[in-house]
Amino acid sequence: MSWYRPRSWSLSVKIPVTHSVMIVGVALTIGVVVVAQAWVQFREELEEKALLLARDVATAAPGAILRNDYWTLYNTLRQTASHMPARIGEPRLLSGMVLDTDGQVLAHIDPMNHPLGLALDPVDEAERRLLDDALRTVTPSIVTGSSGGSDFIEGVVPITFDQKRLGVVRIRVSMAELEGQIWRAGFTVLVLTLGLAAAGSLLGALISSRMVGRLKALAEGMETVGRGEVSQVRPLAATNRDEIGQLVARFNEMAAELAEKKRLEEKLALSEKLASLGQIVAGVAHEVNNPLGGMLNCINTLKTHPDDPALLRRYLPLLEKGLHRIGATVQGLLVELQNEGEPAPCDLACLSDLRELVAAEIGDRKIVLRWDNGVPGKTCLGCSCPNLQQVLLNLMNNSIRAMPDGGTLDFRSCRENDSLVMEVEDSGVGIPKEHRRHLFDPFFTSRPNGTGLGLWVTYQLVQRMHGTIQVESEPGQGSLFRVRLPLDGDAAKETTR
Amino acid sequence: MIRAILQVLVLAVAFGSALAAEPTAVRFGLTAVVVRENLQLYDRWSAYLSKHIGRPVHFVQARSYREIMGLLEVGGLDFGWICGYPFVQKRDPEFLELLAVPVFEGAPLYRSYIIVPRDSPFAALADLEGRVFALSDPDSNSGYLVPQAMLARMGHRPDDFFRLSFFTYSHAETIEAVAEGLADGGAVDSYVWEYLNRTQPDLTARTRIIVRSETFGFPPLVSRLGIDPELRGGMAAALVGMTAEPEGRELLAAFALDRFGTFPESLFDSIRQTADSLRQVPLVAPPPDRTVRIIGDSE
Repeated sequence: MSWYRPRSWSLSVKIPVTHSVMIVGVALTIGVVVVAQAWVQFREELEEKALLLARDVATAAPGAILRNDYWTLYNTLRQTASHMPARIGEPRLLSGMVLDTDGQVLAHIDPMNHPLGLALDPVDEAERRLLDDALRTVTPSIVTGSSGGSDFIEGVVPITFDQKRLGVVRIRVSMAELEGQIWRAGFTVLVLTLGLAAAGSLLGALISSRMVGRLKALAEGMETVGRGEVSQVRPLAATNRDEIGQLVARFNEMAAELAEKKRLEEKLALSEKLASLGQIVAGVAHEVNNPLGGMLNCINTLKTHPDDPALLRRYLPLLEKGLHRIGATVQGLLVELQNEGEPAPCDLACLSDLRELVAAEIGDRKIVLRWDNGVPGKTCLGCSCPNLQQVLLNLMNNSIRAMPDGGTLDFRSCRENDSLVMEVEDSGVGIPKEHRRHLFDPFFTSRPNGTGLGLWVTYQLVQRMHGTIQVESEPGQGSLFRVRLPLDGDAAKETTR
Repeated sequence: MIRAILQVLVLAVAFGSALAAEPTAVRFGLTAVVVRENLQLYDRWSAYLSKHIGRPVHFVQARSYREIMGLLEVGGLDFGWICGYPFVQKRDPEFLELLAVPVFEGAPLYRSYIIVPRDSPFAALADLEGRVFALSDPDSNSGYLVPQAMLARMGHRPDDFFRLSFFTYSHAETIEAVAEGLADGGAVDSYVWEYLNRTQPDLTARTRIIVRSETFGFPPLVSRLGIDPELRGGMAAALVGMTAEPEGRELLAAFALDRFGTFPESLFDSIRQTADSLRQVPLVAPPPDRTVRIIGDSE
């Protein structure tokens, strides 16, 4: 599982992560919207408050201004200012003042630093601009600005009496507390979001552990099926009726059906085995019975004429021939039956022995043997030498018998990748098309005195060696048998060296 | 029509009941010479006096001396605690009679204090030139007449000496205005300052006395000329006799006064002389009284 490749993440990770991401997304979105709305609302409230306070002062101011009653004016300002809460986290009054039309202080919340009767003389350029704007304003207005690094809202209300301008009231409240509140709200939202995300992860982990557990069990079950151990698959618990539950149920059904199928197949294989055994036994009985009849006739005749040497001379070879035939039949069966177990691997040196055997078999027939062994003698095979010899000998004997009038017998061998390919080709009579399907059936023969076991045995041996056998034949043109056997891995290395 | 008759009837009943209650209540006017905000103390004092004269005593508060003087003149009040300056001002015909004078720290005398904020650099009245000054009342001796006389000796009038001056109509508020820094200086009644120094030391601690004037007759209690002599005598006896009773002594202690006594009118001669001396110099027109309602006046 690579962390940077989400496709490879486990479900037990994906689900909690997805949950968390979704929750964080939703919570953050809602939180940001709420905080933003709160900010706008708080700000509007603060603006309203600043304006309201300034209006209160402006309403009470004209009488005191006209009477030069600075004490009452100051008290009005001070009392209005005291309406601002002094609690921590509440907006603070930064300044409050009443100025005459020339910008002289008629009242200031901080009289020590802003003496009565003197012009307010801000050094700061921004402050000076604000002052000029305030002195010019004819309608109540809200001004925002920043001084000393903290934001403020200022309510500016002109004082008029009988359509005459007497001055202006400026009430300035701090926005720092508001900003603090918003930051705190934002922090709360963040903490809440993280908390919810953690809860979402836990929930996701819980759900995924239950889900993944069932999926894992399913995967293990499938793996068991894949290995072919259908009968070992135990039905999974399908407690929930969700999609996974349905999947589990289908799997259980499938596993049960596969197990049933395998049972039937095994039963069928057994019957096939029995059938094949019956066929073999019938074949054997037939093959043994045929010569037996003739031989018993010979013996009966010899018993009737025990002293007739002519009969003896005539029948003894017949008897011998019949017994040989029975012997060959039994021998063929033994080859098939004795080769149980895994024989020791051999190298290809045994092929040279084979050449001599074939040459002997050809004897004085007009057959040319062409031997082309393209594989080094040390190449190892995953099979025993006698079996390989048997296969090739069977094929070559067939070829020799397919060329009663002589011809050419070719043997070729070569390596193809990890396989050993051996070809036996003759220029004999060829195999009729209708015979090809039954070529490897036991006791199938086209020769009058054949046992029908040669190619069958050959096929069985090749199969046991995990190889394949192919036939190419054209009637009258000859036949080609190609045997392909796998080389074992070590042998392959040996040869490449 | 029926409605008009009903209104008249209602008014008559109200007036009748008011008339019925009127003779029994004695009305006593209070001015800035005392700290008027201590309502519980005045309730106790009014209960004490009511018990001794056998009639309910109602204290009436007004913002300025002038209002109290007006009410005394027209008979709206029977008694008043006024300042020595209004007392010595000429009345024609006379409508006031000296009732009693409080004794403060052993004598029926007090002073005017010139105060500045505690951390202020000023040490004399002359330093306050071009500054903001708080006065108490145009009819106040300690809070207006005395500083005016001090300036006159220096050849100044408040208007040209100070950048700004304003009336607070209360000595206590003058102290507050100075403590807050709204005014760079102020003239106050020494009794009020000392009284607040005991009851609200946090406030007076924020001020500093830079000038103590000579002594003057303590703001007197007066009666309206022509009231029932029995009532006048009863009230005088009740006031003077306060030292004889524990409750009276408690009240006097609460006022920070020794006692009430009877003294000759000559006690206030120094105030009269000050006022007369100021009449020699070109008089400063006092600012308009704050009770004059400008709003609504068509100028």
